[in-house]
Amino acid sequence: MADIAIPYSAVAAKRRREGLTAAALVGPATIFVTFCLLAPLVILFRYSLNEFVPTTKVMVEALTPANYIRFFTDPYYTAILATTVRVAVLVTAVCLLLGFPLAYVVARTQSRFKHLLIISIILPLFVGNAVRAAGWMTIFGTKGAVNATLLWLGLIDAPLQIMFTETAVIIGIIAVNLPFMVLTLQSVIEGIDRAVEEAAFSLGAPPGTMFRRVLWPLALPGIVAGTILTFILAMNAYATPFLLGGPRFKMMAPLVYDQFTKQANWPFGGSIAFILMTVTLLLTVAANLLLQRRAAR
Amino acid sequence: MADLALNGLSKHYGDFYAVRDVSLAIADGEFLVLLGPSGCGKTTTLRMVAGFIEPSAGEVRLGGQDVTLLPPWKRNAGMVFQSYALFPHMTVAQNVAFGLEMRKLGRVDIDQRVEETLALVRLDGFGGRLPRQLSGGQQQRVALARALAIRPDVLLLDEPLSNLDAKLRQEVRIEIRELQRQLGLTTVMVTHDQEEALTMADRLVVMNEGAVRQVGTQRDLYERPADRFVAGFVGRTTFLGGTVKAPGRFRSDGGLALACTGGRPGRAVLSLRPERAMVGRAALSGLDNSLPGTVEFVSYLGALIDIHVRLSPKDRLVVQIANRDGGFTPEVGQPVHVGWPASAGQIFNE
Repeated sequence: MADIAIPYSAVAAKRRREGLTAAALVGPATIFVTFCLLAPLVILFRYSLNEFVPTTKVMVEALTPANYIRFFTDPYYTAILATTVRVAVLVTAVCLLLGFPLAYVVARTQSRFKHLLIISIILPLFVGNAVRAAGWMTIFGTKGAVNATLLWLGLIDAPLQIMFTETAVIIGIIAVNLPFMVLTLQSVIEGIDRAVEEAAFSLGAPPGTMFRRVLWPLALPGIVAGTILTFILAMNAYATPFLLGGPRFKMMAPLVYDQFTKQANWPFGGSIAFILMTVTLLLTVAANLLLQRRAAR
Repeated sequence: MADLALNGLSKHYGDFYAVRDVSLAIADGEFLVLLGPSGCGKTTTLRMVAGFIEPSAGEVRLGGQDVTLLPPWKRNAGMVFQSYALFPHMTVAQNVAFGLEMRKLGRVDIDQRVEETLALVRLDGFGGRLPRQLSGGQQQRVALARALAIRPDVLLLDEPLSNLDAKLRQEVRIEIRELQRQLGLTTVMVTHDQEEALTMADRLVVMNEGAVRQVGTQRDLYERPADRFVAGFVGRTTFLGGTVKAPGRFRSDGGLALACTGGRPGRAVLSLRPERAMVGRAALSGLDNSLPGTVEFVSYLGALIDIHVRLSPKDRLVVQIANRDGGFTPEVGQPVHVGWPASAGQIFNE
C-alpha cells in the first residue's frame, strides 16, 4: 500500500495546485463582479421596496410593491417603457438587416484590405456619443446641411424637424450598435465553410434557398448573439436618447437616472431599473426561443 | 448521364491566366482525371464546369447543351468537395435528400431514393446521424451519396480523397471507381496525386501553368510523354542534360557519348526511367549503352531498390532493381556498370 500512497498524495498535491491556479484565474473577476455589480443590485432591489415621502424627499424603510404598482398604473411611465421596447426592437431589426450583408462581405472577402474594412466598421465607436450628437446637429438641425439643401432645392417650405425626434434617436442607436452586430456575425460566418454554400448551389438551390436552408441556420448562433447584444445595448441606451432625443423624448435609462439625481427618489428609481432589467431579460429569452424553434423546424 | 465538352476554355485575372485555352471531350461514362501540381489550373477548370467560376472565354457543353452561362443550381452536376462540405446542421438523410427536395420530388420518392443511395455507399442505417458523428471515410461516402442522389449528368470530384489516411484512400479509390463503372457515370476528378490518378482514370489530362500538356491513357503518359514536364510529373525519371550531336547521338554535359533514338541536333535532355536501366558488376553486353560508374547512394524500398550511380562528375543516374533472391545488390562506393538500350531513353529538345 505504501508504494501507492506516495504517488496518490503527489497526485492530490498536483490537483490542489491546479485548483489554486484555477481560483487565481477566476478569482479577481468574480470578486469584481460580486462587489461592483451583484451587491449594488441586491441593495437597489431592497431600496425599490421602500417607501418615499415626496414632501421631505426621504426614503422610509418598508416592504411594499407600491413603486412597481405606480409604474404600471401610470400611462406616462408605461408609454416610456413602450417607446423603449419599440426603439430597441426597431434598432435590432435594422442592425440585423443592414449588418448581415455587410458581415457576409467582410467574412468572405479575399481582399488584402480586409483589415481596413474591419477598422472602418469599428470606426464609429471611436467617436463618443457627445461628439457624434454635436456632429449630427450640424447636419440634421433646423439650420443643418440637410434642411438647407432641401430648402434650397425647393422640396420643402419649412425646415424638417429631424433632431429631437424618435427617428433621430433610432438612427443614432443604430450607428452605435451596428458595429457590434457586424463583428459578431462576421466571426460566425467566417467559421462556415464556403464550400457548404457551393454544395447547396450545385445541388440545385438558388441563392435565396441556400440562404434560408444553409447559411441562416448555420449563422444562427451569431445572429442570436448579435441580436442579444444589440437589443440589450438599445434597451439601456442612455446618452443617445438624452442627446438626440431632446428634453421631451423619454426612454427608460434616462428616466432611471432622472429619478435618482433630480427627484432623489431612490425607491422609484430602483424599481424602474429592475423593471427595465426584467423586461430586457424576458424579451431576449422569448425572442431567442422563437428564433431557435423556427430554425429547428 | 451525358457527355461533356470543354471548348477553348480560359480564365484570366488581369494578366494572369489561371486556365488557358483548354479543350477536352469527355465521353458518356468516361472517368477523366485532371492531374497537375498545385496552381496548374485543374481546380479552376473543374469549378468552371460546376459553374462556380465564369469562364473568360470558351464554352462548356453538357449533354450537347451549352451551359457556359448557367448558374450552378441550373446545371445537373454532382460535386464532391475536398472538405466534403456536408451540411453540419442536417442529418445524413437530410443531406442526401437536399438535392432531391430542390428538384421538388415527392416525400415518398425522396425517402426511397435516399435509402437506395445510402445503401449504394454502404451507409444503410446511418441516415439519422449527424455528419460530425461519422468518421472521415463515412463523411466522404455521404458526400458521394449526396452528389449521386440527384442522378447528375456529370460527377465532379475535387481532390475527394486527400483528407483520408493512406490505407483508407486505397480502398476508397477502388470503391469509387467500381461505383462509377456500375452506374456509368461521366466523371471528372481533380487530383495532384499521380498514383491516385493512374489507378482511377480511363484517361488523364496533365496540366501545368493553366494549360493542358498531354491527354492520354496511363500508358501513353508514361511511355510516350509529350514533353519534359509530363515525363517528370508522371512516374519517376532521371534527366541528363546535354546536346544531340546528330539524330541517335547524345553527348551529356559530363562528356558521356550515349546512343539514343531520334532528337534534333541542339540542346536537349535525355530522360531515362529508373527501371529501364540495368546494373551489373561488369560491362553489360547486348545493350546500346554500357557505362562504368560508382554507387553513391542506395535506397531500400522493400520490393524495389533504388541505386544512384555517378557516371561522370556531372551525370548521376537512378537505377531501380527488383529485390530478388540471389540478385546483384551493389553497395555504396562499389564500382559498377550501368546499361540500357537506346530505345529506353527519350530525348526532349529544348
